[in-house]
Amino acid sequence: METTTKGLKLADILTTIVIAIVFGVIYKLWGPLYSAVGVLGFHLDQLIYGMWFIASSLAYLLIRKPGVALLAEIAASSGELVMGSQWGLEVLIYGVVQGLFAEIVFAVFRYRRFDTFVVSLGAVGATVGSLIMDFYKGYIEALAPWNMALFLLARFIGAVLISGVFAVSLAKAIEKTGVTQMWRPASKDDYDALNR
Amino acid sequence: MKNIIAIDRLRLKFPGRDGLLFRDLSLSIAEGEKVLLLGPSGCGKSTLLQVMAGIIPHSVDVPMKAERLERPERWGYVFQDPDAQFCMPYADEEIAFALENRSVPRQEMPARIRALLDQVGLEIIPHTDIHTLSGGMKQRLALASVLALEPDVLFLDEPTALLDEEGTKAVWQTVKQVDRGKTVVIVEHKIDHVLDFVDRIVLLGRDGRIIADGEAKAVFSDYKDVIAAEGIWYPGVWDDYDRTARRRNRHQGEELLRLSCFRGFRGREAKIYVPEATVHAGEWIAVTGKNGAGKSTLLHALMQLIHTDGEYVLLGADIKQQHPLYRHIAFVFQNPEWQFVTHSVREELAYSLRLEGRPEAEIEETIARLLREFDLVEQQDQHPYQLSIGQKRRLSVAASIVAGQRLFLLDEPTFGQDAKNTFALLEMLEAHREQGAAIMMVTHDEQIVRRFATRRWVIEDGTLVRDEQLDIREPALAEGGAGR
Amino acid sequence: MKWEVRCRETWLHETNPSLKLIVLVVLFFAVLFIHNPNVLINVSLALFVLFCFGTGYPANVLFWLFLPFFLVFVSTASSMMMFGEGTTTWVRWGLIHITAESFWRGVHIGFRALALGLLGLIFSLTTRPVHLFYSLMQQLKLKPKYAYSFLAAVRLLPIMLEEFQTIRYALKVRGVPNKGGLSKVKRYAIPLLSQSIRRAQRIAVAMEAKRFSGSGRRTFYYEIGFGKYDVLFVALFAALMFVAYYAGVHYPYISISDVR
Repeated sequence: METTTKGLKLADILTTIVIAIVFGVIYKLWGPLYSAVGVLGFHLDQLIYGMWFIASSLAYLLIRKPGVALLAEIAASSGELVMGSQWGLEVLIYGVVQGLFAEIVFAVFRYRRFDTFVVSLGAVGATVGSLIMDFYKGYIEALAPWNMALFLLARFIGAVLISGVFAVSLAKAIEKTGVTQMWRPASKDDYDALNR
Repeated sequence: MKNIIAIDRLRLKFPGRDGLLFRDLSLSIAEGEKVLLLGPSGCGKSTLLQVMAGIIPHSVDVPMKAERLERPERWGYVFQDPDAQFCMPYADEEIAFALENRSVPRQEMPARIRALLDQVGLEIIPHTDIHTLSGGMKQRLALASVLALEPDVLFLDEPTALLDEEGTKAVWQTVKQVDRGKTVVIVEHKIDHVLDFVDRIVLLGRDGRIIADGEAKAVFSDYKDVIAAEGIWYPGVWDDYDRTARRRNRHQGEELLRLSCFRGFRGREAKIYVPEATVHAGEWIAVTGKNGAGKSTLLHALMQLIHTDGEYVLLGADIKQQHPLYRHIAFVFQNPEWQFVTHSVREELAYSLRLEGRPEAEIEETIARLLREFDLVEQQDQHPYQLSIGQKRRLSVAASIVAGQRLFLLDEPTFGQDAKNTFALLEMLEAHREQGAAIMMVTHDEQIVRRFATRRWVIEDGTLVRDEQLDIREPALAEGGAGR
Repeated sequence: MKWEVRCRETWLHETNPSLKLIVLVVLFFAVLFIHNPNVLINVSLALFVLFCFGTGYPANVLFWLFLPFFLVFVSTASSMMMFGEGTTTWVRWGLIHITAESFWRGVHIGFRALALGLLGLIFSLTTRPVHLFYSLMQQLKLKPKYAYSFLAAVRLLPIMLEEFQTIRYALKVRGVPNKGGLSKVKRYAIPLLSQSIRRAQRIAVAMEAKRFSGSGRRTFYYEIGFGKYDVLFVALFAALMFVAYYAGVHYPYISISDVR
């Protein structure tokens, strides 16, 4: 039962992974939708690409500890992989890179800010991560310039809207249910009250 | 005898709440004692149990201090929720998890797992998917994996709160068998099966202080009024209820619903079949049958949540013309949280009315009336998830029936509720029935069937096999039962 | 991994999960660096054969599993074909511009997506989560607190799916309109997530109550080691890649050997 104060506790890890697995299911359902929208062309599919970054945003907003954004994205993509994602093993590697870039953004803000701006920036970070992977995999540089611009714009906007703005509103709603209470540290007043 | 647990002047506070939960609470438990902790919900019984085990503050960080805290070295803890205490998919793996934690050599594991399963009377092959077990079996598996720790003290935190009568009996029988001189500390709301097992009762008050502490039988008889007022299921609770219950009017009104060759499907398979049945205003139909017989499926079919065929006439018209159905039928799920759609109690009550576009003044008036009727006035601005179990249940019923529906479908609404809430809920439903609503309720509780139902439907293997009128029983004449 | 569908256990199930994962990740990167469509087509076909005959699942299950991959193949390939750059124009119609270069590039990327997808599918179809995480702890020294957290979360999946269904019913019963993109996601996500979070916290407490410590010594119920099938596995994939490469270079289907 020795609990180390350093690093993530079992409850943090387990909850992060469970949140991520919920999104793993959503990711898996999102895949066919993304493919279906993709058939429409004009990179409309890129607008909804941002859903794949939401696990890290949400875990960060709810648990507020270093490392959970990365862990959430890895776990969500493993969950998606386990359920037979149409992209196979690649989701796992994308997950690692995306999570890492989001985590770096949160680290830059020293894990102290939990507003829409920082979370949106995290989503932008994850988008950059996904683009780096796409660059290796999909030859996106081969697209015509106008096409490329449209592609990038759609993906960044979608990411900010879904994994930034929407994630914050979702986190606020969950906060109200009271289940995140255990991660909001007891105040000094609470400890002082014991001696009164 | 030597004390195995000793707490001296414990102070504990939940962050963000006013005041201390415990102020200078002291309690000690001797080796081999069987102790029952009783008290109203929210008085901190489970918290105290977790402090005794050391879960607080090791796993759950809560501000606390105590002058002296002696805790057992070897202990095991069984929690309330069967689905929230396993981490592995199969029964053998779950027990192995506990063995692994104690570094038991791998070669010894299969034999020990087998022995532990035998000990708790689980006759399953060890490699069984936990998901396929019933609630009662899951709790016995939880007990087995705790016994794998070879504990001196067993902490049981309402292990049967979410079980039916059958599961409850099996769990307590098992506890009595495995005990073998261990110290056992129990928190429980349903004490019928516990009372003859424990030798000491500690009764906590609403303010987290110990009201009574002593020999079980003596505390139980001396403080029966307090115990009854706190909603605890004690032996004979129904008889006491009957003494206060009033006469009921059993008038039967017009036909509300008619079924003929009615079938409900899950996927392509017909899962429920009703050859012929009618429901009238003022009826209270108890839907009974074994687990998995199709009782919930029947309700789902009536609510058109699943595909159905055959004849289904509601309020004189074919079901297809009665759209949207939620205006005519109120549906209450087993877990109230599933059906909350807003962020406050008030909004929850207003939701259906707003959907109907009722005038704001009328909505305000209705909400005020329901808040009073369902005793939720103080909680009106809270988030539904933050309510107590009983309040959640009352809110879910209130919010469901707000649109003035004539037919109520309820899926085990009294499940996991304490006695006080159960009676309050049944009384509220009864009042609506007398005003001309019809109630159809899935239940395992014969005490409720006997006292409230006017009719019983028995479901067997997905078919309505019996539809019987029940005798009108005056409350005072109802047979005394052994509690629940 | 195996959910409801019962399958025949094949030799692929017997291989060491960590080894399998490493080999497949290496292959993943190898596939990224194949620029010769002939080689890639060979690799994809070989993986497809393994998927059909090596995983032990009945044909109808395999068909439904494969369908989304085929969709990805088509959509990836077509989007690259129609809007890519190139010099040898085949079709030009409004914004759609198909060139010989973009066509073959599209085909190549389609097959790449297919190969990567099959790699993942073969892995997940032949690996039980419990074995994977036990192997990761034993071979790759993954910390138990991560491994068991994953396993606990996996156990919750079927419970969550049931809950999802119930919430769908409940929303219908309350008359909640069944529309609206993100607000619909929210209506499902809030009850689902808050229930899951609370359950996760309780499970963590229960695990620690069973004397689980995130680190330190422990024994293992399943000891996962290496065997003859692991040798076979590595040998098969080495041979497969070699043959695919050799045949692709010496007996090409098309004359393009680099799509860049």
